[in-house]
Amino acid sequence: MKKNLIKNIKAKKIITGALALVLGASMLGACGKSDAANGENGAQKLKANGKVYRTLDEIKKSGTINIGVFSDKNPFGYVDENGDYQGYDVYLANRIGKDLGVEINYVSTEAANRVEYLESGKVDIVLANFTVTDERAQKVDFALPYMNVALGVVSHKDKVIKDIEKVSSDEQVIVISGTTAETFLEKNYPDIKLQKFDTYAAAKTSFENGTGIAWANDNTEVIAFAKENEGYEVGIPSLGSQDTIAPAVSKGNESLLKWLNDELVTLGKEKFFHADYEKTLIDTYGADYEDTLVVEQGDNK
Amino acid sequence: MDFNVVISYIPTYVDAFLLTVKIGWIGIAFSLVIGILSAFIMHFKIPVLSQIVAVYIELFRNTPLLVQLFFIYFGLPKIGIVISAGTCGAVGLGLLGGSYMAEVFRSGLEGVSISQTESSLALGFSKTQMFIYVILPQAFSKSVPGIVANVIFLLKETSVFSAISLMDLMFRAKDLIGLYYNTTEALFLLVIFYVIMLLPVSFLGSVIEKKVVSING
Repeated sequence: MKKNLIKNIKAKKIITGALALVLGASMLGACGKSDAANGENGAQKLKANGKVYRTLDEIKKSGTINIGVFSDKNPFGYVDENGDYQGYDVYLANRIGKDLGVEINYVSTEAANRVEYLESGKVDIVLANFTVTDERAQKVDFALPYMNVALGVVSHKDKVIKDIEKVSSDEQVIVISGTTAETFLEKNYPDIKLQKFDTYAAAKTSFENGTGIAWANDNTEVIAFAKENEGYEVGIPSLGSQDTIAPAVSKGNESLLKWLNDELVTLGKEKFFHADYEKTLIDTYGADYEDTLVVEQGDNK
Repeated sequence: MDFNVVISYIPTYVDAFLLTVKIGWIGIAFSLVIGILSAFIMHFKIPVLSQIVAVYIELFRNTPLLVQLFFIYFGLPKIGIVISAGTCGAVGLGLLGGSYMAEVFRSGLEGVSISQTESSLALGFSKTQMFIYVILPQAFSKSVPGIVANVIFLLKETSVFSAISLMDLMFRAKDLIGLYYNTTEALFLLVIFYVIMLLPVSFLGSVIEKKVVSING
């Protein structure tokens, strides 16, 4: 009797387990297929079977826009002592909200989930120091750029890393998961051991604690870190290619993208980003970096 | 879903799987040792130690693992104690699990009915003999279901290791999504590998539980 009971339970367990697996797999398979079927004219098809994003009109009608920003990346996007979002990205976000005539709902993002937030429609715009790359551009739509960026490496003053090739195999370089620094090092220097964190705050604390010999990130970020904290030096101020940072919207959200591009051109005319720099970044970088960092539309190109 | 992508991801998932399993089971072994010791201290009401254990149990049962890991990994270095991420994960899991295991063992010990004590004393057992031959075996078999549940719980708790840069299954999936944006494939493998990790445990657990129940009668 008891043996039978055990056998029954065994069989039940195996069946439920298998069922769960099949169910999970088929659900995921189904999502995948619909994605593939959408193909090139995905935007229209997505609309037909429930698009993820909100159009410009829908945002205006709802009276609120969801903007994804960093909450721990001073001076670009962070929460100040009063609990308010501040920084270079947030300064732009506030202006966008004002010009759209809607309230802003800030959504705190991590580097690795910026694409997902747009793909799942959790935010309308990402303004989280989002570097434009080809891989990302396949998944989201970037507007015109508003900032320049390259990678940089900061290390402890007593052992400054000036050449990324000189990192030995038993040393670790800190990166943040989902950043361009991570992608760049994974692709070009696969032998370097990376210590990965999912938030800026965790990476910073860990670097200060000395668990990694260097920290690779956007050069703006490492320069700011070295200026604000004693005992660190940016040994490599520029690594990899020069990139730009731009607002991003969900793939196919053309009405919002067009509005953003027009907005950025208008803002360029009034030198908005120079004002933004002088308001949010000058304390950290001084006046020297203003023209290298800031991009105004209509300025160049 | 692109199965070529899935296949290309498998090796990195296997690495993450092995790391998760290794740290998970080391942590569980820790938690069993801590749990048994704490339960004995509580059971025999050893002065001072039992108060310390009571505070430990309440502290660790009522704080999330993530907070404990942050404290060990980011907090302790500030006072000069630097622990590697792997050790930190195992210690954190062991301390959290220890507090849960202690409660399981303690309730197992207390669950042995008083008539058992009375009978063995009446039969002329010494207190030590009574504890080793009568109380302990029954207490242990009463604890088994709780232990199995805790083992599964602890293995699932490993998913917060990403906070301290341990490349466990969860972090592997998040990291791949951040690198290549193939969300569906990465999440699919994540589910599969967690099932592979946990299904045998819950299966074995239920077999052992049945065995123990039949011993208890």
